Amino acid sequence: MSGTILSVDDSKSIRDMIEFTLRPLGYRVIGAEDGSVGLGKFDSEPVNLVITDLNMPVMNGIDFIRALRKTPRGAGVPVIMLTTETKPELKEAGRAAGATGWINKPFDSSMLVAVVKKLAG
Amino acid sequence: MTGLPSPTETFIEEAQEQIEGLEGQLLDLEKVASPETIDAVFRALHTIKGSGSMFGFVELAAFTHHFEDAFDRVRDGLVVIGPDLINLSLRARDHMQALLAEGLNGGAKALSESPEARHLLEELARLVEREGTTAPRPAANQGAATQDAGRARRWHIHFKPNPVSLRNGMRPDLLLAELEELGRLVTLDIDASDLPPLDALDPLTSYLGWNVVLDTSETRSAIDAVFIFADSADLTITEQPPPHETPLARQGPSATEPGPKVDVPAKSTRQPASSDETIRVASGRLDAIVDQLGELVIAQARLESLSKTIGNGELDTLAEEMGRLVASLRDATLGIRMLPIETVFGKFRRVVRDLSADLGKDVLLVTDGGETEIDKNVIDRLTEPLVHLIRNSVDHGIEPTDQRLAAGKSRHGTVSLVAQRESGEVAIVISDDGGGLNLEAIRRKAIARGLLQEDADVPDAQLGNLIFAPGFSTSETVSKVSGRGVGMDAVKTAIEALRGKVEVVSNRGEGTRITLKLPVSMSIIDGLLVRIGSDIYVLPLSAIEECVDIATLDCSHDSGRTMARIHDHLVPWLDLAEVFHGHGSGESDRRMVIVRADGLRLGVIVDEIIGQHQTVIKPFSPYHRTVEGLSGATILPDGAVALIIDVASLVRGGLASSRKAAA
Amino acid sequence: MQASETSHDADPQSLLTFGIAGECFAIPVALIHEVIDPLPVTPVPNAAEHAPGLINVRGIVTPVLDIRRKLRMPQRSQQSDGGRLIVLELPVEEVVTRVALAADTVIGVVDADGLTLDAVPELGARWPKAYVRGVAQLDDRLVVLLNTETLFSPDENATLTS
Repeated sequence: MSGTILSVDDSKSIRDMIEFTLRPLGYRVIGAEDGSVGLGKFDSEPVNLVITDLNMPVMNGIDFIRALRKTPRGAGVPVIMLTTETKPELKEAGRAAGATGWINKPFDSSMLVAVVKKLAG
Repeated sequence: MTGLPSPTETFIEEAQEQIEGLEGQLLDLEKVASPETIDAVFRALHTIKGSGSMFGFVELAAFTHHFEDAFDRVRDGLVVIGPDLINLSLRARDHMQALLAEGLNGGAKALSESPEARHLLEELARLVEREGTTAPRPAANQGAATQDAGRARRWHIHFKPNPVSLRNGMRPDLLLAELEELGRLVTLDIDASDLPPLDALDPLTSYLGWNVVLDTSETRSAIDAVFIFADSADLTITEQPPPHETPLARQGPSATEPGPKVDVPAKSTRQPASSDETIRVASGRLDAIVDQLGELVIAQARLESLSKTIGNGELDTLAEEMGRLVASLRDATLGIRMLPIETVFGKFRRVVRDLSADLGKDVLLVTDGGETEIDKNVIDRLTEPLVHLIRNSVDHGIEPTDQRLAAGKSRHGTVSLVAQRESGEVAIVISDDGGGLNLEAIRRKAIARGLLQEDADVPDAQLGNLIFAPGFSTSETVSKVSGRGVGMDAVKTAIEALRGKVEVVSNRGEGTRITLKLPVSMSIIDGLLVRIGSDIYVLPLSAIEECVDIATLDCSHDSGRTMARIHDHLVPWLDLAEVFHGHGSGESDRRMVIVRADGLRLGVIVDEIIGQHQTVIKPFSPYHRTVEGLSGATILPDGAVALIIDVASLVRGGLASSRKAAA
Repeated sequence: MQASETSHDADPQSLLTFGIAGECFAIPVALIHEVIDPLPVTPVPNAAEHAPGLINVRGIVTPVLDIRRKLRMPQRSQQSDGGRLIVLELPVEEVVTRVALAADTVIGVVDADGLTLDAVPELGARWPKAYVRGVAQLDDRLVVLLNTETLFSPDENATLTS
């Protein structure tokens, strides 16, 4: 397993946890604190997987996913959304915007690894 | 300070910041119920709830969940914001703070079961008109269920992803690989019925489908789990039936409805510390950098003095250049540690609000100078003393409303907090327009405690400072709010530990003013090296106005005059040889440095002015902390120890001794 | 150690013995940071008499305690050279602090195990009782064990009058 993962979440503790979990598996993890920064980072280097929170300031996850899918390289990259919402509408909105899969918060590292493996190999 | 903080430590810092910010937001909400603030509160609670459970703070997450539910109703306009809600919210926030502080050692459980906590929950629930508790939903279990595993069965799987799914990052190859891991792929056929001719092919559209026959002893759920994200696909999983029928299982709905109504706030107010223009740094790491910087300053000074002895022009230039770089690096780094004192002032709004309510008084807090910057270490240690002083003002200073009205004063009392920068010090004044100190009672108490002679003629200002003596309290009733004067001597100790000073001025019937003077920075200063006898001292450059040649003045008389006329002002002087060595200097050609402190100008006489120098302040150990006139030591380029003069303390000391002499 | 302390420590306390005015004193090795040659002392004006000055030990400003004054011994004669500085690291007012004291000679390290500690009899010495744990016999000399908890307290008056 290798490649670059972009993790987008306004909470640094969550971004750190994602990095701590995935780096030992051979991934390079880069972070962004909101959707607009995430778009910038996605633009500047090859990314194999995106993990994004939905509830963020400046640009929320749904808008980010939608915008990401419109970029030339954005179609086709797996996107996992992190959601605490158990309300179906938000998840559906994420799917409609183009998310590939989701992880419900709270999640632990084994759940994260399972979903990453599933979507990115 | 080794390595990076763990994600849990980062979470604790983040949560702490958010909980602190919540207080201000709730107080703002009390004044103006703006949708942005409501959103901000909701989002803070939402984040703390989510992250809290991720990092093991189960009770915090659970409690915040209830709080969040209540605020969800506020956000929906179903609950009106009034003082009761704010009070409840503030108490709930305090409880969250306490739960976070308990950490992961199990104390949080006990706390969350306390009567206070249950009471809070009941009130929150009442607000939300819900009974009982709704626990946060547990994480979706993506693992296999344990039904019926063990027996190998054969499954027919038809899988045709939705045409847009490739665009959405689906990897059918990975899904098929996952299937294969479950058992044995007996057959795999591609369904290419929808595949268009090559020139019409869009590589990002999914046209293909697969038919798989899988032998596996895993459960049906395990197979479902492979396709958990493929809910918009055409998917059939059928067990090759034993002789009787099995109903077809269709996974998930087909294409989902687009465009749901989602209430996700796009732009909302954020606390400045978490915006993408700032970065969070553990203050311990910053301290470590400042320490290193101090060593760098010393090393560069040695380099410069060494290069002078070598006398190589290029080396000199280089050493000077390094000096400039080090100076600006120093300024920049120290600047990072400086925070506006507003960060401390903010807490007091809550203190005054709660206290006023508890005591039934009407008190207004006025602040000014919040933008004055001061070292973070100093700010951290200021909070407790300031809280105590403010509580005192509200509790003992401001009179009850009827008393104020009877005295012809305004109905509401005012406590004011003002910060101001002057010559290397920050002055913080806490004043109230209350009844002032009862100086007579203080005098009597001091005499009773043997702190004062019966017939001593002590000016009122000195009497005021007696309240800082240990155990001193003249209030007849012990207030449960601010206790029995235990705090005032602790306040003095805390301020003195910061190398600061406290003073009290009070007028009976009019109010009390307490002034704290604190150094702006704890570590590096620009100083002037001076020689007195065979010892070197450092005068902080920030306190110096100018240097004067004594020969032009007339200071050698023994007539009792200790002032001279400089630029049309009369300037008193102090001979540092007398102050520090106890006797006159005997040297000719002495110099006078005019310094300013406490609003007073003073000329200090030294034997020689050596030159400007950047110095790292090494604060005194407990052995020398109480020495008057000095604030620390430093190491000179040649390795000698030089003492740093505390100008303000010199002035105060000088005033004190002259008063003693005059009495 | 017997007498005043119960020997509950598993590891024996090692003591550093040093000489002042011909007398042999001892303090626990655990508190010692290093022993160095004398350094120039910068006097601190108006300081308490028992902490007259500061030295620079490799970049760390360290207060020097006037141990002779504390033990009510006469000051060192000006002519005598040599001597050593013992730099200790110990909690002072709950903060770990470096402190130095001047000794004429540093003798060596002694195992405290098996030493019997006797209290100093009344009028047995001018040393303030608060500063002395007791005396022990080591080979052919008397070793005075100093009380490091009280000896280094910055507030002399409080310690001596309590």
